[in-house]
Amino acid sequence: MALQRDVIAPKASAVDMSRGLNLPLSPAIRAGEFIFVSGMVAIDPATGKRMCGTVAAETRQIPAAMTQVLESAGSSLAKTVKVNVLIYSMLEYNNMNEVYREFFPADPPARTVCGAKLSGGSKVEIECVALA
Amino acid sequence: MTGQLSRTVIEPNNPRLNVSRNANLPHSPGIRAGEYIFLSGIGPVDPVTGGRNLGPIADQIRQTLQNMEHMLTFAGSGLDRIVKINIVLADIQDYDEMNRVWREFFSVDPPARTTCTLQLSNGNGVEMECIALSL
Repeated sequence: MALQRDVIAPKASAVDMSRGLNLPLSPAIRAGEFIFVSGMVAIDPATGKRMCGTVAAETRQIPAAMTQVLESAGSSLAKTVKVNVLIYSMLEYNNMNEVYREFFPADPPARTVCGAKLSGGSKVEIECVALA
Repeated sequence: MTGQLSRTVIEPNNPRLNVSRNANLPHSPGIRAGEYIFLSGIGPVDPVTGGRNLGPIADQIRQTLQNMEHMLTFAGSGLDRIVKINIVLADIQDYDEMNRVWREFFSVDPPARTTCTLQLSNGNGVEMECIALSL
Protein backbone atom coordinates (compact mmCIF):
# COMPACT_ATOMS: atom_id res chain seq x y z
CA MET A 1 0.00 0.00 0.00
CA ALA A 2 1.34 3.41 -0.93
CA LEU A 3 2.37 5.57 1.99
CA GLN A 4 0.95 9.04 2.22
CA ARG A 5 3.14 12.10 1.51
CA ASP A 6 2.06 15.38 3.10
CA VAL A 7 3.65 18.81 3.20
CA ILE A 8 4.07 20.09 6.75
CA ALA A 9 3.69 23.85 7.20
CA PRO A 10 4.31 25.35 10.66
CA LYS A 11 1.40 27.27 12.12
CA ALA A 12 3.67 30.25 12.88
CA SER A 13 4.56 31.26 9.34
CA ALA A 14 7.61 33.26 10.55
CA VAL A 15 9.52 30.01 11.05
CA ASP A 16 8.56 28.84 7.56
CA MET A 17 11.85 29.45 5.73
CA SER A 18 10.34 28.58 2.40
CA ARG A 19 8.02 31.57 2.78
CA GLY A 20 10.23 34.04 4.65
CA LEU A 21 13.20 33.46 2.38
CA ASN A 22 11.07 32.60 -0.67
CA LEU A 23 12.75 29.24 -1.23
CA PRO A 24 11.47 26.38 -3.40
CA LEU A 25 11.24 23.79 -0.64
CA SER A 26 8.73 22.53 1.87
CA PRO A 27 9.53 23.04 5.57
CA ALA A 28 8.95 19.36 6.11
CA ILE A 29 7.37 16.31 4.51
CA ARG A 30 5.54 13.58 6.35
CA ALA A 31 6.05 10.20 4.67
CA GLY A 32 4.25 7.40 6.43
CA GLU A 33 5.42 7.34 10.03
CA PHE A 34 8.39 9.64 9.43
CA ILE A 35 8.79 13.40 9.15
CA PHE A 36 11.70 14.76 7.12
CA VAL A 37 12.50 18.36 8.08
CA SER A 38 14.42 20.60 5.67
CA GLY A 39 17.68 22.20 6.74
CA MET A 40 16.79 25.13 8.98
CA VAL A 41 18.91 28.21 9.60
CA ALA A 42 18.27 30.70 12.38
CA ILE A 43 15.26 32.88 11.58
CA ASP A 44 14.13 35.87 13.62
CA PRO A 45 10.63 34.79 14.71
CA ALA A 46 9.45 38.43 14.74
CA THR A 47 10.43 39.25 11.17
CA GLY A 48 10.83 35.90 9.42
CA LYS A 49 14.22 37.10 8.18
CA ARG A 50 17.53 35.36 8.59
CA MET A 51 19.10 35.90 11.98
CA CYS A 52 22.89 36.02 11.86
CA GLY A 53 24.59 35.79 15.25
CA THR A 54 27.12 33.71 17.09
CA VAL A 55 27.07 29.95 16.69
CA ALA A 56 25.55 29.72 20.16
CA ALA A 57 22.81 32.26 19.37
CA GLU A 58 21.94 30.64 16.04
CA THR A 59 21.99 27.15 17.55
CA ARG A 60 19.59 28.27 20.27
CA GLN A 61 17.10 29.64 17.77
CA ILE A 62 16.97 26.66 15.41
CA PRO A 63 15.68 23.85 17.70
CA ALA A 64 13.06 26.28 18.99
CA ALA A 65 11.78 26.84 15.46
CA MET A 66 12.20 23.16 14.63
CA THR A 67 9.93 22.40 17.59
CA GLN A 68 7.20 24.48 15.98
CA VAL A 69 7.58 22.65 12.67
CA LEU A 70 7.49 19.25 14.38
CA GLU A 71 4.60 20.14 16.66
CA SER A 72 2.51 21.32 13.74
CA ALA A 73 2.85 17.74 12.51
CA GLY A 74 2.08 16.21 15.89
CA SER A 75 5.71 15.36 16.58
CA SER A 76 8.38 16.89 18.84
CA LEU A 77 12.12 17.16 19.41
CA ALA A 78 11.88 14.12 21.69
CA LYS A 79 10.72 12.08 18.70
CA THR A 80 13.63 13.03 16.44
CA VAL A 81 15.66 10.01 15.40
CA LYS A 82 18.44 11.58 13.32
CA VAL A 83 19.84 15.09 13.20
CA ASN A 84 22.41 16.55 10.83
CA VAL A 85 24.18 19.70 11.94
CA LEU A 86 26.27 21.80 9.59
CA ILE A 87 28.42 24.54 11.08
CA TYR A 88 30.63 26.98 9.21
CA SER A 89 33.73 25.95 11.15
CA MET A 90 34.46 22.86 13.20
CA LEU A 91 36.35 25.13 15.59
CA GLU A 92 32.87 26.05 16.85
CA TYR A 93 31.94 22.41 17.55
CA ASN A 94 31.89 22.81 21.33
CA ASN A 95 30.01 26.12 21.20
CA MET A 96 27.28 24.41 19.19
CA ASN A 97 27.20 21.35 21.47
CA GLU A 98 26.78 23.32 24.68
CA VAL A 99 23.57 24.92 23.42
CA TYR A 100 22.38 21.88 21.46
CA ARG A 101 22.44 19.60 24.51
CA GLU A 102 19.94 21.80 26.38
CA PHE A 103 17.29 20.79 23.86
CA PHE A 104 17.92 17.04 24.15
CA PRO A 105 18.18 16.23 27.86
CA ALA A 106 17.60 12.47 27.52
CA ASP A 107 18.08 9.82 24.82
CA PRO A 108 19.21 12.36 22.21
CA PRO A 109 18.80 11.50 18.51
CA ALA A 110 21.58 10.04 16.39
CA ARG A 111 23.55 12.90 14.90
CA THR A 112 26.28 13.84 12.46
CA VAL A 113 28.10 17.17 12.59
CA CYS A 114 30.24 18.53 9.78
CA GLY A 115 31.82 21.82 8.81
CA ALA A 116 30.48 23.25 5.55
CA LYS A 117 29.97 26.47 3.60
CA LEU A 118 26.42 27.63 4.30
CA SER A 119 24.10 29.98 2.44
CA GLY A 120 23.41 33.61 3.25
CA GLY A 121 25.98 34.06 6.01
CA SER A 122 24.38 31.58 8.38
CA LYS A 123 26.79 29.80 10.70
CA VAL A 124 24.55 26.86 11.61
CA GLU A 125 22.05 24.75 9.69
CA ILE A 126 20.15 21.80 11.15
CA GLU A 127 17.91 19.18 9.53
CA CYS A 128 16.24 16.15 11.07
CA VAL A 129 14.18 13.03 10.63
CA ALA A 130 11.54 12.44 13.30
CA LEU A 131 8.79 10.00 14.05
CA ALA A 132 5.33 11.35 13.32
CA MET B 1 0.10 8.93 11.07
CA THR B 2 -0.58 8.04 14.66
CA GLY B 3 2.93 7.76 16.06
CA GLN B 4 2.90 4.09 16.96
CA LEU B 5 6.51 3.34 16.10
CA SER B 6 8.93 2.76 18.94
CA ARG B 7 12.10 4.83 19.34
CA THR B 8 15.01 3.26 21.21
CA VAL B 9 18.66 4.13 21.69
CA ILE B 10 21.27 1.79 20.20
CA GLU B 11 24.77 1.57 21.64
CA PRO B 12 27.85 -0.40 20.62
CA ASN B 13 28.65 -3.53 22.58
CA ASN B 14 32.26 -2.36 22.94
CA PRO B 15 32.20 0.59 25.37
CA ARG B 16 35.39 2.01 23.84
CA LEU B 17 33.45 2.69 20.64
CA ASN B 18 30.81 4.65 22.54
CA VAL B 19 32.19 8.05 21.61
CA SER B 20 29.18 10.08 22.71
CA ARG B 21 29.30 8.56 26.18
CA ASN B 22 33.08 8.71 26.53
CA ALA B 23 33.34 12.30 25.34
CA ASN B 24 30.01 13.41 26.84
CA LEU B 25 28.55 14.45 23.50
CA PRO B 26 24.81 15.16 23.13
CA HIS B 27 23.94 12.41 20.68
CA SER B 28 23.09 8.72 20.76
CA PRO B 29 25.26 6.28 18.77
CA GLY B 30 22.12 5.13 17.01
CA ILE B 31 18.35 5.19 17.18
CA ARG B 32 16.04 2.37 16.20
CA ALA B 33 12.78 3.77 14.88
CA GLY B 34 10.31 1.13 13.86
CA GLU B 35 12.00 -1.06 11.27
CA TYR B 36 14.85 1.35 10.64
CA ILE B 37 18.14 2.08 12.35
CA PHE B 38 19.70 5.53 12.09
CA LEU B 39 23.39 5.64 13.01
CA SER B 40 25.29 8.75 13.99
CA GLY B 41 28.41 9.68 12.08
CA ILE B 42 31.12 7.14 12.91
CA GLY B 43 34.84 7.78 12.68
CA PRO B 44 37.94 5.57 12.79
CA VAL B 45 37.91 4.90 16.52
CA ASP B 46 40.31 2.21 17.68
CA PRO B 47 38.25 -0.54 19.38
CA VAL B 48 41.13 -1.44 21.72
CA THR B 49 42.29 1.97 22.92
CA GLY B 50 39.19 4.08 22.25
CA GLY B 51 41.51 6.64 20.63
CA ARG B 52 41.50 7.77 17.04
CA ASN B 53 43.13 5.64 14.37
CA LEU B 54 44.51 8.44 12.23
CA GLY B 55 46.81 6.32 10.09
CA PRO B 56 46.65 5.88 6.30
CA ILE B 57 43.22 6.65 4.86
CA ALA B 58 42.69 3.02 3.81
CA ASP B 59 43.11 1.96 7.43
CA GLN B 60 40.76 4.69 8.63
CA ILE B 61 38.08 3.66 6.14
CA ARG B 62 38.44 -0.01 7.02
CA GLN B 63 38.25 0.81 10.73
CA THR B 64 35.19 3.01 10.26
CA LEU B 65 33.34 0.32 8.31
CA GLN B 66 34.30 -2.31 10.90
CA ASN B 67 32.95 -0.05 13.65
CA MET B 68 29.74 0.45 11.70
CA GLU B 69 29.46 -3.31 11.24
CA HIS B 70 29.95 -3.78 14.99
CA MET B 71 27.17 -1.31 15.77
CA LEU B 72 24.74 -2.81 13.27
CA THR B 73 25.46 -6.45 14.08
CA PHE B 74 24.98 -5.90 17.80
CA ALA B 75 21.65 -4.24 16.99
CA GLY B 76 20.54 -7.28 14.99
CA SER B 77 21.18 -5.66 11.63
CA GLY B 78 24.29 -5.75 9.43
CA LEU B 79 26.21 -4.05 6.66
CA ASP B 80 24.09 -5.94 4.11
CA ARG B 81 20.97 -4.31 5.61
CA ILE B 82 22.13 -0.75 4.97
CA VAL B 83 19.85 1.12 2.60
CA LYS B 84 21.64 4.47 2.49
CA ILE B 85 25.08 5.52 3.60
CA ASN B 86 26.70 8.94 3.59
CA ILE B 87 30.48 9.12 3.46
CA VAL B 88 32.29 12.32 4.34
CA LEU B 89 35.95 12.56 3.45
CA ALA B 90 38.26 15.27 4.74
CA ASP B 91 40.05 15.21 1.37
CA ILE B 92 38.29 14.30 -1.88
CA GLN B 93 41.67 13.07 -3.20
CA ASP B 94 40.98 9.97 -1.10
CA TYR B 95 37.91 9.10 -3.18
CA ASP B 96 39.52 6.33 -5.24
CA GLU B 97 41.18 4.78 -2.22
CA MET B 98 37.87 4.88 -0.34
CA ASN B 99 36.16 3.04 -3.19
CA ARG B 100 38.90 0.42 -3.24
CA VAL B 101 38.45 -0.38 0.47
CA TRP B 102 34.68 -0.03 0.15
CA ARG B 103 34.52 -2.93 -2.34
CA GLU B 104 36.04 -5.24 0.29
CA PHE B 105 32.89 -4.74 2.36
CA PHE B 106 30.14 -4.47 -0.27
CA SER B 107 30.73 -7.00 -3.01
CA VAL B 108 27.06 -7.47 -3.97
CA ASP B 109 24.03 -5.16 -3.95
CA PRO B 110 25.77 -2.22 -2.24
CA PRO B 111 23.61 0.41 -0.54
CA ALA B 112 22.69 3.79 -2.00
CA ARG B 113 25.54 6.15 -1.21
CA THR B 114 26.58 9.78 -1.29
CA THR B 115 30.18 10.89 -0.83
CA CYS B 116 31.41 14.43 -0.34
CA THR B 117 34.13 16.44 1.35
CA LEU B 118 33.42 18.47 4.47
CA GLN B 119 35.26 19.59 7.58
CA LEU B 120 35.41 16.76 10.13
CA SER B 121 35.98 16.70 13.86
CA ASN B 122 39.02 15.35 15.70
CA GLY B 123 41.25 15.21 12.64
CA ASN B 124 39.26 12.32 11.15
CA GLY B 125 40.02 11.59 7.53
CA VAL B 126 36.65 9.93 7.11
CA GLU B 127 33.27 9.71 8.79
CA MET B 128 30.25 7.62 7.79
CA GLU B 129 26.60 7.51 8.79
CA CYS B 130 23.85 5.23 7.59
CA ILE B 131 20.23 4.21 7.62
CA ALA B 132 19.73 0.45 7.80
CA LEU B 133 16.88 -1.98 8.10
CA SER B 134 16.46 -3.13 11.64
CA LEU B 135 16.41 -6.91 11.25
